Amino acid sequence: MLQLRKLSVTVRNKKILTDIDFQFEKGKIYAVMGPNGSGKSTLAYSIMGHPLYKVTAKSKIIFGKRNISALSPDKRAGVGIFLSFQSPLSLSGVKVYQLLQLALNGKKDPIAVRSVVKKYAQELNINEDLLSRSLNDGTSGGEKKKLEVLQAAVLDKKLMIFDEVDTGVDIDALKSIARFLNKHKNGKTYILITHYNRILHHLKPDKVLVIIDGKLKKVGDHRLAEKIEKLGYEKVIKN
Amino acid sequence: MQQQQGNLDFEYRYGFAMPQNYVFKAKRGLNQQIVKEISWMKKEPQWMTDFRLKSYDIFTKKIMPTWGPDLSRINFDDIYYYIKPIDKQASSWEDLPKEIKETYDRIGVPEAEKKFLAGVSAQYESEVIYESINRELNKLGVIFCDMDTALRKYPQIVREYFGTLIPPHDNKFAALNSAVWSGGSFVYVPKGVKVSLPLQAYFRINAENFGQFERTLIIGEEGSQVHYIEGCLPAGEKISIGQTWANIETVKPGDFVMTGNGYLSKVSKVMVRKYKGRMYKITPISPVNSFSLTKEHPILSIKRKDVLVKRKIRNNWLPEVDSKKLVNEVPVYRKVTELERGDFIIFPKPKKQFLKQTLLTDEEIEFLGFYTAEGSLHFHKKLRQYIVALTFSEKEEENIERVKELIFKITGKKAMVVKSKEKHAVTIVIYSLKLHDLCLRYVGKHAYKKKLNDEILNLSNTQLENFFWAYFKGDGNLFIKTSSGSHLYRASTASYELAIQLQEILAKIGIFASMQFRKGGEDIVLGRTILRKDQYIIAFTKPKQWTEVRETEDYYIVPIKKIEETDFDDFVFNLEVEGANSYLVKGFAVHNCTAPVYTTDSLHAAVVEIFVKKGARVRYTTVQNWSKNVYNLVTKRARAEKEAFMEWIDCNLGSQITMKYPSVYLYGEGAKGEVLSIAFAGKDQLQDAGAKMLHFAPNTSSRIVSKSISKSGGRTSYRGLVQVFPGAKNSSVYVSCDALILDKESRSDTYPSMKIKENDVTIQHEATVEKLGDEKLLYLMSRGIKKTDAEGLIVNGFIEPVVREIPLEYSIELNRLINLEMSGSVG
Repeated sequence: MLQLRKLSVTVRNKKILTDIDFQFEKGKIYAVMGPNGSGKSTLAYSIMGHPLYKVTAKSKIIFGKRNISALSPDKRAGVGIFLSFQSPLSLSGVKVYQLLQLALNGKKDPIAVRSVVKKYAQELNINEDLLSRSLNDGTSGGEKKKLEVLQAAVLDKKLMIFDEVDTGVDIDALKSIARFLNKHKNGKTYILITHYNRILHHLKPDKVLVIIDGKLKKVGDHRLAEKIEKLGYEKVIKN
Repeated sequence: MQQQQGNLDFEYRYGFAMPQNYVFKAKRGLNQQIVKEISWMKKEPQWMTDFRLKSYDIFTKKIMPTWGPDLSRINFDDIYYYIKPIDKQASSWEDLPKEIKETYDRIGVPEAEKKFLAGVSAQYESEVIYESINRELNKLGVIFCDMDTALRKYPQIVREYFGTLIPPHDNKFAALNSAVWSGGSFVYVPKGVKVSLPLQAYFRINAENFGQFERTLIIGEEGSQVHYIEGCLPAGEKISIGQTWANIETVKPGDFVMTGNGYLSKVSKVMVRKYKGRMYKITPISPVNSFSLTKEHPILSIKRKDVLVKRKIRNNWLPEVDSKKLVNEVPVYRKVTELERGDFIIFPKPKKQFLKQTLLTDEEIEFLGFYTAEGSLHFHKKLRQYIVALTFSEKEEENIERVKELIFKITGKKAMVVKSKEKHAVTIVIYSLKLHDLCLRYVGKHAYKKKLNDEILNLSNTQLENFFWAYFKGDGNLFIKTSSGSHLYRASTASYELAIQLQEILAKIGIFASMQFRKGGEDIVLGRTILRKDQYIIAFTKPKQWTEVRETEDYYIVPIKKIEETDFDDFVFNLEVEGANSYLVKGFAVHNCTAPVYTTDSLHAAVVEIFVKKGARVRYTTVQNWSKNVYNLVTKRARAEKEAFMEWIDCNLGSQITMKYPSVYLYGEGAKGEVLSIAFAGKDQLQDAGAKMLHFAPNTSSRIVSKSISKSGGRTSYRGLVQVFPGAKNSSVYVSCDALILDKESRSDTYPSMKIKENDVTIQHEATVEKLGDEKLLYLMSRGIKKTDAEGLIVNGFIEPVVREIPLEYSIELNRLINLEMSGSVG
């Protein structure tokens, strides 16, 4: 479904990712782990098409059968990719309804959108007030993450990347996010970028990828995440 | 002949003049004599003439303000200071001259009037020519009229307040306004009266180089309440985008439109400008295809006089034309003012270019034709089955048999036939998901919403004929004129989109069809009363063409039935199309706009004085969108007495330079003042806006919220002054100014100034400058939102705290204007 070939990324002429080769398969759950600053978020941004993250000429990001590495982020969303942001910026005056309405580009009836949003908000225990307030403006970290997950479900893309959806989230919120993601999985592909094994107890990954210093150092099954939790990255890589 | 078969790129002529039929137009420039003349023309009392002359004297002595934007390009000698458009002032809507009524119809004033039932006072050039004062307002003793009338009818009130809050020596432009003022509104609200509906006025600058110097005076007596609005509203025209027509204002760069040679081309730029002047409505023999345009859009046309037969004029007919000559005549782009009834305009035949191989079989195409005319889609809930149903009159046996046959061929299933005796109808019903989806995909459902998809429109001509005639068997009828033996084919549909598409299909298969509109209502069919929807009727004659339409290989030559002229002052749209200099408006070839941008600048120097008495509340809302060559220099000031509340809501989008700092003088204890403002500066614009709050009394409070946006090299400045005088104890001041800068070329400055001479004061000052960063854009784009839409969303979100204070139709208009500015489309 998503294939990265020799993916190298620079930000302001600084190389962050080097020659990542990996094939993500349809319907599976992937965990991407690694220490701070190893390039996990860069991976997410470059799949989404962040303009500051320059992909080198040799790199290829192939989605389905199409090389999308030159597409703008909105076009990538169009082919079926969603990114849940690590720290979503606040958008004053922009309501989640408005955003989703525009994102669905009139494909769905506004009333239908509203009822779906409401339903998902209930499932995620999101206070209804938040839906008619400015998005991410003065909301807690956990609520921000829940709103990201809500958008993911409404927009319903084939590939969903969650960048640290578990960070800054209390245990109850984490549980409801994980429960929600399990419930709405429906054959979609999830990439969970995370520091901790915590969320992986609820959402069992098919594969765990370890990125260190911008390189894909190790790939394993869910047991790899447990090992990392026990031993730390250095020891796991050395073994 | 050869030229006609090639691209329809013909030469056209430029050169226009603006006719102005004003009753009185003073000479350019200003002197004592002109000031006297203005006062004399208006039959003003002596004190006003003296006031004007004194003000003129002050104006000549005052220097230009030097602390703000550069105003050196204003040439006071090049401006008309007074224009009076009509003789008498109309007192009701009905009394207005027809053309002016039509102008207001276009901008929707009557609707606004109905909605608000309050007074609408519309200003056309410098004189208020129409106002309707609601009876309720009159009963309450509220006065709402133009300033000139007020001076005549209520001289004492006017004299008591006029020029006392903003005296002529306040600044050079206040002095100028005091000398030459004309028009504007007068509002007087008596003690305790609360006017719940907003009073509105529409301001406009119509002539080039004409300064607008309106003067507004509002007095809210003790305990009263009123909301006054000045603003603007829009209009649009449909253009061809291949399968259907779109409102021109919804077209965006990157969209495809059909050009004058019948091909689809990409729109590279959409330009919008404020247009003031004549608007021409051309009605060809096909009335629904009528369209409006300014004379700066030349139209591909043939003059009747160039193709006449040498024969005497018979009966009362238009001179007859020689068909051969007409078909061989090379069409030329002409401006509308050169055209008249009987001349011909060009309706290009759409050409196919994205030939997609269709997977549709001939049977399916024919069936879709029948479905388009007579079909409906249903879902049987209990059986969980999808149903396609077609209803015919029981007499149409041939059609019924054919449809059954087609259904069998497509689905392999036999259709059911349900007869309804009392309705004399036969319904063919088939349970088939395949057929249901086919119909839904290619035609859609509901009679008034049916619309063919691209694939149908791109079928080959044989296939289109197959489709159309099947459709016609269902919805059409044929009249044979016994006298001439000519055959008139007519079909009617409730779907506007479909009607246009059918016209296009017919054009492709060599038939020019005329289109008419029939209003819906009650009707009697076979003895039963039914409620009929609006109908669009497509008519043509065959084998002989519609008598007056001629055909060449590339286009139809269609005569003009009528050209109507109206006055217009609003936004007009123009497209720049890649590789072509023309596009189709309602099917006809129109050239890009050739309007010259005014090289000289206009001046708008208004003065607004507001007196808010004890416990009264006045709100003044402005949505300003002057054309981009106007200097908008306005002095606005209010005086708030004890416990009074004054609010200014001020949105500035247009003009070249704006200098506007609405102020509130808080004289009475506990008075409150508020300024909420939005400024948007695009290319070559400078919005220097802000507010002034002066606290003279204890317990007074003021609040300033300013939002400014700059884009494409535009500049915004916030300039604010808050002064708290000694003794204004326990006063509170809140200032928040936020700037949003959309690109590197643009700029924003803040000049806040506070002079606090009292210790017991609460002061809050917040200022933010935000550059529209990649992060926010990425966030929205990652949701699948296009970049321009994402920017629009951010900008509209940014100004939302102010916009929510504005009445709905103005806030919608404001959002629309901002989205237009955002799409990089301002011409």
